Amino acid sequence: MKRQNSRKSTLLFLGVTVFLLLFLVVIGLGVEEEATVTDFTRTNLAPSLRYPFGTDWMGRDMFLRTLAGLSLSIRIGLLTAGVSAVVALLLGVAAATLGPRVDGCISWCIDLVMGIPHILLVMLISIACGRGFVGVVTGVALSHWTSLARLVRGEILQLRQAPYMLAAEKLGVSRFRQARLHMLPHILPQFLTGLVLLFPHAILHEASVTFLGFGLASEQPAIGVILSESMRYLTTGKWWLALFPGLALVLVVILFALLGDRLRRWLDPASVHA
Amino acid sequence: MRFWKIRGLALLLGLALIAGCQGGTTSQEDRQESTDSVIIAMGPTSEPEAGFDPAFGWGAGEHVHEPLIQSTLLVTNTDLTIGYDLATDYYASEDGLTWTVTLRDDVHFTDGEPLTAADVAFTYNTVKASSSVNDFTMLDYAEATDDVTVVFHMNRAFSIWPYTMAIVGIVPEHAYDSASYGTNPIGSGRYILKQWDRGQQVILEANPDYYGEEPAMKRVTILFMEEDAAFLAVQAGQVDVAYTSATYSDQTVSGYSLASYASVDNRGFNLPAIMQTTDAEGRTIGNDLTADVRVRRAINIGIDRQEMIDNVLNGYGTPAYSICDQLPWYNEASEVEYDPEAAAALLEEAGWMMGEDGVRQKEGVRAELTLLYANGDSVRQALTADFANQLGELGIDCTLEGVGWDTAYDRALSTPLLWGWGAHTPMELYNIYHSMADTGYAEYSPYANETVDTYMDQALASSDLEESYALWQLAQWDGTTGVTQEGDIPWVWLVNIDHLYWVRDGLTIAEQKIHPHGHGWSLVNNVDQWRWSS
Repeated sequence: MKRQNSRKSTLLFLGVTVFLLLFLVVIGLGVEEEATVTDFTRTNLAPSLRYPFGTDWMGRDMFLRTLAGLSLSIRIGLLTAGVSAVVALLLGVAAATLGPRVDGCISWCIDLVMGIPHILLVMLISIACGRGFVGVVTGVALSHWTSLARLVRGEILQLRQAPYMLAAEKLGVSRFRQARLHMLPHILPQFLTGLVLLFPHAILHEASVTFLGFGLASEQPAIGVILSESMRYLTTGKWWLALFPGLALVLVVILFALLGDRLRRWLDPASVHA
Repeated sequence: MRFWKIRGLALLLGLALIAGCQGGTTSQEDRQESTDSVIIAMGPTSEPEAGFDPAFGWGAGEHVHEPLIQSTLLVTNTDLTIGYDLATDYYASEDGLTWTVTLRDDVHFTDGEPLTAADVAFTYNTVKASSSVNDFTMLDYAEATDDVTVVFHMNRAFSIWPYTMAIVGIVPEHAYDSASYGTNPIGSGRYILKQWDRGQQVILEANPDYYGEEPAMKRVTILFMEEDAAFLAVQAGQVDVAYTSATYSDQTVSGYSLASYASVDNRGFNLPAIMQTTDAEGRTIGNDLTADVRVRRAINIGIDRQEMIDNVLNGYGTPAYSICDQLPWYNEASEVEYDPEAAAALLEEAGWMMGEDGVRQKEGVRAELTLLYANGDSVRQALTADFANQLGELGIDCTLEGVGWDTAYDRALSTPLLWGWGAHTPMELYNIYHSMADTGYAEYSPYANETVDTYMDQALASSDLEESYALWQLAQWDGTTGVTQEGDIPWVWLVNIDHLYWVRDGLTIAEQKIHPHGHGWSLVNNVDQWRWSS
């Protein structure tokens, strides 16, 4: 049997995963309306063919709620990871190129934000921004950029001392051309991987801060809301309220983690051997 | 090989865990056989944050109950008329501006000092000066004219003052320090605070020198726990009484039964009664849809309250038609029949015609309403959802929104919010329906009716409490105007929530007064009369 080209299979995996996640987002958006419908004639039903994840105490279809919740989580993840990545890129580049004073200042900021436990910081910012969607997105976005910024800064500092960069500078290559031709291709794989790996963090922190009651409002179909509600019903034996949505969340997070890992292999094959 | 060993071990552990869970339900022997103590589980919000100081809300705060550790001048009887505790007699002057109370002379604080009129006057002057949770603006000052006579000088006539005298616990003037009294209270009541582990439990022991009937329960332990923990404690047989809610009402626990107590712990929506505008503080007030009285009336009769009770409360509740159902000042004219056809007719009369999408329209505007509820309260959320579904059938499209109490009060001025009220005083009617001097509208939801105001002012000015009940009833409906269906209906009342408790077999809980808002201390108002059957 011919051995599968691992580059090809990685690419295939990437395609399938991205498609799956996008599909989830679209499906979730489609059923959002239906997921919040309450129907008191079908409360507290155990999982069945009709309601694969059962129903809750207000007769909401937990399967649809879970889908809508995952979709919301991924969208929040997308938004926060995007914002974080932009912040990280700007600050990382600024720290590495604008001299030691700026570097000192930005590094201090990074240390400061990293020094406070994420969940606390997310909670504080979320409350300050009035909770809800805005609060959660701001909270997660403003607390997750640090590690990526530090990574970008380190890479650029290292690159600037590389012999070929020094040579290019001596040859009079313009700064913009240096950045475009020599820096960007080096940073991009690291950056993209870092970006994707922000997702699971963002999603989990969104879910936890909502679970603790400092995030999204309880009528929204968010996984954190679903899980915190289900805690009240576990003692009465309604296990399906927590199990399926929890599993689904874990699966999505794992998918993102794998996605980030494969993406790194694909973009930067050399690093796999390092 | 090793892998399988580990797996087997894990399986065994899992089985043991499951077996452990099963075992919990039958362990009744845990309970020590004592016939004069009781352990009660209450919710964490029942724990008095500022301690057992009446000046900081103990007994007389948002949740009203008997203070147990302290005595009160008067008490409310089971039918909510007024009875005597420390007082032997009381009367108001003709103009209602002074109240004179005579005390019994045989009462001592638990530190041995006698309780005199000076202590009573001191207590009332202190709560007036420091109480942030209760309104004492009607009191000018209290004065002890001799050892057994207290005179209250009022700023304005306040006929329902006896209901205030029934909730304020009397503290000793010689041993009161506002910083430490809350954690170390000295009173003359039925119980002494023996121990308070903040966040966990309160232990009360019977006062051996109590002047009244000797408490049958010598030791009362109150544990503060979340609802699911309380249920687990019941399953494990660790508590004798535990609060619970409709969520758990379909469960059965051997050795316990579910006790349900009627309440005026009502839930209802405010319906802003004016068109949308902005007030002096820049807040949005009023709501264009509910400003039309016909819409409000349609909502009031278009709601099937019994369905709501069956759906959300599992049957443990009664329909609510006012803020004070079944209390002496309740006007039965508040009651309405569920009539969806009449509701639809009212909406059409108001110009709201059914559109093709099942939502009513008027001049191109859809009938839309946002409904607010307190975030995190599952019962309120479900009630709001059911209310929204029922309004949906009437053709009003509703959106739910959970809000925190930090913004809810302001939001409610323009958007219906699900409130919980219900207290042993007619003052609640005044609080929600009487207009305020500075804004011209009632405090919680924009509404004003001069006639209603006048009746309530007269009721407060009345020199006879029993007579004032009739005036409170007239304020609700006098035959031509009021706050009921045929009147202005600025609030729609939905349900009174029964207070549910798991009670261990063999424990007899004494007859309860109709419970006010607050699912907690009300139950133990008469814990001294509870009994274990042998």
